Amino acid sequence: MYGWFWRHLPGNVWVKLLVSVVLALAVVYVLFQYVFPWAEPLLPFNDVTVDNQ
Amino acid sequence: MAATADETEEHTDAPEPESAERRRRPGRIAGAVSVFGELLITVGLLLGLFVVYSLWWTNVLADRKADKQAEKVREHWAQGTDQGPGALDTKDGIGFLRVPAMKNGSVLVEKGTSTDVLNNGVAGYYTDPVKAMLPMTGEKGNFTLAAHRDGHGAKFHNIDKLHKGDPIVFETRDDWYVYKVSSILPETSKYDVGVVDAVPKESGWKKPGHYITLTTCTPVYTSRYRYIVWGELVRVQKVDSKRTPPPELR
Repeated sequence: MYGWFWRHLPGNVWVKLLVSVVLALAVVYVLFQYVFPWAEPLLPFNDVTVDNQ
Repeated sequence: MAATADETEEHTDAPEPESAERRRRPGRIAGAVSVFGELLITVGLLLGLFVVYSLWWTNVLADRKADKQAEKVREHWAQGTDQGPGALDTKDGIGFLRVPAMKNGSVLVEKGTSTDVLNNGVAGYYTDPVKAMLPMTGEKGNFTLAAHRDGHGAKFHNIDKLHKGDPIVFETRDDWYVYKVSSILPETSKYDVGVVDAVPKESGWKKPGHYITLTTCTPVYTSRYRYIVWGELVRVQKVDSKRTPPPELR
């Protein structure tokens, strides 16, 4: 999977490395900005009040 | 033609084409296993990132927001735009909770205990299921608060460091309300709404008074139970011109 991805990146090793790092950072950004905030309320880690529900 | 050309090229590149071929192209099953392994690693990384997000990044965001909001409230107070004792601006926050034992500075208190409010790194006073009685009204009742134990500012993270007799100070524009911890319920069900009643049964109090209640989740990193701390008002001190904190905070 990652091997396939690496083989299909353009350029030499350094260009590939740079592109990979940028892509990884982009993935982390999307996760922190959109995916995790969406997922968090669905997970039972952070309810602090008492209620009837 | 092309095929033969390729073959000759391969031959010149690798002296042992058969063994090199076998090493380079593993079988179908081995390929599937390696993809599966990489997927597992990916899931592991995702979960690790989620932990980083919930325990660190949400704190960064919430503290930033809370600091900004707190500054706004302080400015508001300094300008004295609220006219008269009845004019209470509950939108920006009503005051600051300062608990020396929790070592978390001053925590802004805002209205409501929904996640939208609490995720901003503040403590919220209950409006549901039982409305909190705000100390500024001067009436007897229970000033009930909630805040996060972990993530989103984690304002009540050190709630277990509070012991009987420790001060809980609530700072408003005009007054310091000094409470003392009188009882603690280290674990209760999240459905136990009785803990935020005007006179909570488990607290040991029998008649109405000026009470404060802190609620958060326990054990740390989970939301299985609720941790409750009850306190009683011991005195109210006027804020002086320099906002000198009461002796409990020094």
